[in-house]
Amino acid sequence: MRGAVRAALALAGVTLVAACGTRPDAASAPGPAPAAVPAAVPLSTSLVTGQGAWAVAVMGSGTGGAGGFWQLFARPAGAGRWSLVTPPGVADNGGLVAAGGGSSLVVGVRPSQNLVFSPLATSTDAGRSWTPGLLDAGLADAPGAIALSPSGRLLAVLRDGTIEAAPTAGAAAAGRWTVLTTFGALAASAQGRSCGLEGVTAVSFGPNESPIAAGGCARPGAAGVFTDAGGTWRSAGLRLPGPAGRSRVRVLGLAADAGGNVALLAAGGSVLAAWRDGARWTVSAPVAGSVRALGFGGGGSSWLLLGDGRAESTGGPGRPWEALPPVPAGTQVLAPGAGGGYEALAVDRASLTVWRLDRGAWVPVQQLTVPIQSGSSG
Amino acid sequence: MPGMNSGLSPGDPVLIAAFRSALLHQGVIALVMIVLLGLAGATLRVWPTRTADADGAAAAGAGNPEPRGRRLLRTGFGVLWIFDGLLQAQPKMAGGLATQVIGPAAASSPAWVQHLVNWGGTIWSYHPVEAAAASVWIQVGIGAWLIAAGGGAWSRLAGAASVAWGLIVWVFGESFGGIFAPGLSWLTGAPGGVLCYVAAGALIALPPDAWRSHRSGRWLLAGFGVFFAGMAVLQAWPGRGSWQGTVLANTGHGKPGPLAGMVREMAATPQPHVLSALLSGFASFVARHGFAVNLVVVLALAGLGALFLTGRPRLVRYGVAAGIVCCLATWVLVQDLGFLGGLGTDPNSMIPLILLFSAGYLALIPVSQEAPEAVTTGWRAQLRPGTLGRTVASARRRWVTAAGALAVIVLGAAPMAAAAADRTADPILALAIAGDSSRLDLPAPGFSLTDQTGRTVSLDSLRGKVVLMTFLDPVCTTDCPIIAQELKQAGRMLGAQAARVELVAVVANPTYRSVAFTRAFDRQEGLASVPNWLYLTGSLGQLRPVWRHYGVEVENLPAGAMAAHNDLAVVIDAAGNIRREVGADPGPGTDGTQSSFAVLLSQYARDALGPA
Repeated sequence: MRGAVRAALALAGVTLVAACGTRPDAASAPGPAPAAVPAAVPLSTSLVTGQGAWAVAVMGSGTGGAGGFWQLFARPAGAGRWSLVTPPGVADNGGLVAAGGGSSLVVGVRPSQNLVFSPLATSTDAGRSWTPGLLDAGLADAPGAIALSPSGRLLAVLRDGTIEAAPTAGAAAAGRWTVLTTFGALAASAQGRSCGLEGVTAVSFGPNESPIAAGGCARPGAAGVFTDAGGTWRSAGLRLPGPAGRSRVRVLGLAADAGGNVALLAAGGSVLAAWRDGARWTVSAPVAGSVRALGFGGGGSSWLLLGDGRAESTGGPGRPWEALPPVPAGTQVLAPGAGGGYEALAVDRASLTVWRLDRGAWVPVQQLTVPIQSGSSG
Repeated sequence: MPGMNSGLSPGDPVLIAAFRSALLHQGVIALVMIVLLGLAGATLRVWPTRTADADGAAAAGAGNPEPRGRRLLRTGFGVLWIFDGLLQAQPKMAGGLATQVIGPAAASSPAWVQHLVNWGGTIWSYHPVEAAAASVWIQVGIGAWLIAAGGGAWSRLAGAASVAWGLIVWVFGESFGGIFAPGLSWLTGAPGGVLCYVAAGALIALPPDAWRSHRSGRWLLAGFGVFFAGMAVLQAWPGRGSWQGTVLANTGHGKPGPLAGMVREMAATPQPHVLSALLSGFASFVARHGFAVNLVVVLALAGLGALFLTGRPRLVRYGVAAGIVCCLATWVLVQDLGFLGGLGTDPNSMIPLILLFSAGYLALIPVSQEAPEAVTTGWRAQLRPGTLGRTVASARRRWVTAAGALAVIVLGAAPMAAAAADRTADPILALAIAGDSSRLDLPAPGFSLTDQTGRTVSLDSLRGKVVLMTFLDPVCTTDCPIIAQELKQAGRMLGAQAARVELVAVVANPTYRSVAFTRAFDRQEGLASVPNWLYLTGSLGQLRPVWRHYGVEVENLPAGAMAAHNDLAVVIDAAGNIRREVGADPGPGTDGTQSSFAVLLSQYARDALGPA
């Protein structure tokens, strides 16, 4: 009997020891399928203001973290060459978010490492000089997280989805922002509930400089674009037709244009452009693919860099997507060219090469070496 | 694991020098204590009667012989503890144990193990010199105690000490011997070499009667039988990679399996060429014949388990011989002697295992020479002058040696306990980063700037208080927030004296320098409510002379880099004279270095305050 007990104890001990040291085979363990939520869009982008064209790209030894340094390039109106105009005085490893309005450009620096708020910089001379400003909170990780109106009014999306507003550039310089709404309040509003708001990704200004907020919706077919009407957020009335109307929709980018607004939306593995002329929306046909970068030009035009190296552009409201030739290796950003067409900005660590689309082919037209201060933020 | 990483290099010369100095000082104290105890022992020797001396010696020698198995454990593990203590005296141990030994050992364990180990590692990283010196003396002390104590209650206490310290090392140093981590294997040292020290200590601490019976040996060997059988099952368990000499890497090419890979890594560590060549050859052999090697290991373990479980002396003898061969082969070919390469702290598990099962065998076999213990019955008999004298005489030598060993243990344990109770880090970490600062007595350059509330503050207006001053960039992403926390902590450490100290920072950024930024920085760092905190700024015309006069170079760098400035702190006394200038580069900026800088700054502030 005693021998049997000893044997049983030994067997139990052996099994326990074996179980302790056995690693489950991760590859064979079935798990839930990933939720069908489109991935966030990188901050690399370009935009056009009255001062010229601007492009944001990350350079250095990595696409993020302390090794990646975000750079701002400008090509002043009427000029043919790009120059480095990254605002000085602050480490921008967390990313840059740029927005244009009137004759100004504002750049928000996303916090990184031990910094938790977002310094700002505003230029009215194509990046030759900068005026510092302050957003005393962390800016959201989205290329549309900041908006500037022609009168100098600012909107910013914070990391927690709160939308803050500064009435003037002076107020922004002094860090005087007020909360316009929180993500919780927006999601709890009738319109937010109706779309099942999942997050705020972009802000802009509509007619009469009324704030517009956009995000992702859990409810298929609902596009989360809202306008602020005197403190009440209302749906901007965007509906997606066809198969996109049966998919979950996320607003990837939002911009103001002279006649209204333009939005780029991801829905069911495709991307669509939507234009609003102040009252009515026009929606483009979908273009299939996942977005690697996007940007806006003048007149409602926009471009997409897709995951497989393809590039697409559209010229404005009602215009179809047009495929561009496969972009050069390292291309992070497209930007409207000085003489029409497009330019591709390709990055290789500290080197930027500008390629111009010339008669159906990309031709290198400029090379810039950026003095990356490797190790300065690590 | 943040707590256990001081961030300093194990080879930091300041840490090494401080560790050597601590060992030297404590060594001198240990020597003095041993000499004093020796003198005390010599004095005691002449105290009892001559008859008692002679009889006592005879009684100690013949009446109460120590069982051979116990003696093997006591002397064997005594030698091992001393050897481990000497390994702990390696120069890089103070700065390297937490990051190079404890951290990697815990890395693959579950979160709760990592949390526990990190908690213990924090004590080490905050007080590396005290902790490293303590480990040396505690282990040497336990070893000496085990060897010298012989039999009796003192030697049982030495066993208990071995259990207590062994458990601490097993939990915090070996992360429970890795038993909660995947990949557990007898070959690599499971369930932890120090657990053998614990087991041996527990056996030594058993009452003498337990060693008189053969049952103890039988149980010990049966335990080993179960252990070896369990390890055989574990080694044979499919899906753990034990059977594969090579595995398919993501690249599509073959790479060494777990055992071959580990041996190959060990072969690459610095050690005599003969050993590294032997290991490399064995790693290649395992890579080629992984299945066969594992089959041999599984069969050997299963065979050993079966032999030990029989409990028959003749079969167990074969088991012991085979076990010694297997353990020695594993010790050389797989464990690389346990302590070679890197910061070895012990010879790993094989030698302790050999000692343990050999002791079990010695306890199992009958020995005719072992006379039964002489028992003196009745309290009256025990109190007779002759018996009492014998008892005193036999206990005297053990008493003195045990007291000496205990003194050595206390010599290490007391400073470590005091350090562990102190929640602030040793300033040696800050000195290692910043270097020592000499005392100064220079008039501090004046300034007039604006604080975070918009008030004008000049150096003259701070006269009468000690000023801890530094230069901070309000949008800095790395050092400045850490330095601010160091000042804040230093202020807290000053207690009531903080009312006589101003913590002052001057903006060090040519662009982002408005009051809005100093306020934002204060909110970020929780400084807005610190009553003696001032963050000063001004126009570039005001700031540049201050930067220049205090030797701070500030400039904007291009391409998305932080504004550059050197990190320094100055201590200005109540009369407006600079008393210290400290390099304030926070180094790795870990919790330990942050606390260490705070201690250093608060010490300098106290020096400048002078007597209250």
